[in-house]
Amino acid sequence: MHIALGRYLIRKFFSRFLVFMAILTITFIIPRLMPGGAFAYLIENPNISPEFREALIRQFGLDKPILEQYVLFLREFFLSGNLGISFYYRKPVMSVILDALPWTILLVTGSTIVSVILGMLAGLAAAAKRASVLDRAFFNVSMFFRSMPAFWLALVLLIFFSYYLDLFPLYGAYTYGRTYESFFEYIADVAYHLALPFMTLTVLTTSAYLVLSRNLAIDVLTEDFIITAKAKGLPERTILYRHTLRPILTPLMTMTAIELGYSIGGALMIETVFSLPGVGKLMYDAILMTDYPVLLGIVIMTSAVTLVLVTLVEIFAAIIDPRVMLT
Amino acid sequence: MSESGIRRFLNPLLRSKTGIIGLILIAIPLAMAFFPQYIAPYDPYKRVARPFQQPSMAHPLGTNDIGQDILSELIYGARISLFVGIVAALATVALGSLVGLIAGYFGGLVDEAFMSVTDTMLLIPILPFMILFSTFMGRGYINIVIVITIFAWPGIARYVRAQVVTLKTQPYVEAARAVGAGATRIIFKHLLPQIAPTLAALVMLRACASMIAEAALSFLGFGDPIQKSWGTMIYWARRSGAITSGAWWWITAPGFMITMTVLGFAHIGYVLEEYYNPRLRKS
Repeated sequence: MHIALGRYLIRKFFSRFLVFMAILTITFIIPRLMPGGAFAYLIENPNISPEFREALIRQFGLDKPILEQYVLFLREFFLSGNLGISFYYRKPVMSVILDALPWTILLVTGSTIVSVILGMLAGLAAAAKRASVLDRAFFNVSMFFRSMPAFWLALVLLIFFSYYLDLFPLYGAYTYGRTYESFFEYIADVAYHLALPFMTLTVLTTSAYLVLSRNLAIDVLTEDFIITAKAKGLPERTILYRHTLRPILTPLMTMTAIELGYSIGGALMIETVFSLPGVGKLMYDAILMTDYPVLLGIVIMTSAVTLVLVTLVEIFAAIIDPRVMLT
Repeated sequence: MSESGIRRFLNPLLRSKTGIIGLILIAIPLAMAFFPQYIAPYDPYKRVARPFQQPSMAHPLGTNDIGQDILSELIYGARISLFVGIVAALATVALGSLVGLIAGYFGGLVDEAFMSVTDTMLLIPILPFMILFSTFMGRGYINIVIVITIFAWPGIARYVRAQVVTLKTQPYVEAARAVGAGATRIIFKHLLPQIAPTLAALVMLRACASMIAEAALSFLGFGDPIQKSWGTMIYWARRSGAITSGAWWWITAPGFMITMTVLGFAHIGYVLEEYYNPRLRKS
């Protein structure tokens, strides 16, 4: 089992690394395909000084042949985590992104865990009472939420809950300029600020897990071992939350891995609306300032984070169901 | 579309409750897109009242920061939002099915190369990629359509490939090959017509995702500042302080229209998919 898991991990790690190399290569090529090549996106920016421009050209060898540039680009990234300098912040792109990343990861992982659990329980409940009022209501509500843009739900919740009802703050992840007497006070303040963005993302992702769990559970409920369990006189609760839950866990984990991309995209839009200091806000500011190095860095780092999270979900899936490793 | 094509599209829809709901939901934005001048009470580009007016009898959805009527803006915006949604969906399905047909029919190395690209693109979050491309390409709805198409085709390619792989072993395809039909002929004359009905369903489902992507990109400021789509309306609302002045009508109206239109496309898409994809057709 452990050897198999190890081999599985190495294979996964290798294929993920190839994917990441492909992404790095794309982000290397795109700015060089633009009219004027690699220089255009540096030189057309009025925010940077001539010396700064010179330094960038030297650092990334922009006056050298393209292959040499590629080697230099990869070396800078892997050896020193150098993704260039932000035009706007005038700091290394990597440090700007690393400051923002924890907020996004917190939002995405937190809401993914909550929505997988909620979606699974609601989906099982719907499957148990197939075609009932509850089942239809769950399905229609899920479809309704899936049909709306994430940023719009965020805006609507913000204007009603924060502006009109004054229940939540209007922006930020903590109260600016406030000093905290204890760590718990800080946590409480952050939780108060993150509550609404967290709810927005969770509502949206729960819908997907709900529909999937329901459909999976309906298939399982027609199987022989469920009929046996019923014939033995087991309580419905046991059949649902023990016998039905177990076989749907694995496909649900696979789904979670796929859903992470959507979840991160949603988180970026939601952060923009709530002005959280995460990657989404950074991205929004980078668009306004046409800060290309930061945008390129965000593509690389969000892909990296997604690949790591997806791999973690797959490891988890392999531990609860070793058959996954055979596929 | 020929008459029989329209009938094949409408018949399954009119036979199910979900399909009829979908058609009704789509009818509203379609009417707005085709005849805005007959429906809209005001010229959406003129100031017709005081700014930031709450909904009233004269202005059912209130006014914006420069006193334009929001209902009229909403009605005129339908054309752009629907255009981007549908054109991007058509382009995505065209590109995706082409890749799927080629990969599925030829198999081997071509197939593996295409499929590893699709796998990668389905895994990573595409929003940052779309934003990066949009920044390089500049504002405008045509650019939004192109960006959506570049990043949305893999799902379609996967779906079509799976169908082609099963179809190509059918006797009629083997017969065509036996009498010497070339790959192009088999792909476009024998395989494509078989999957065409499912492609109609996929266009509807892609229109949902395209409209949501358009809304997000426009909200981030990649739309055309002159011609306002529903997403661009929300972009202006947020930029002009709709949140800090509590103008809920300005934020809610365009998003509500997006949601309803997407729901309509989703209903139609599900009904068509279930009708034309035998694997999904259940008792």
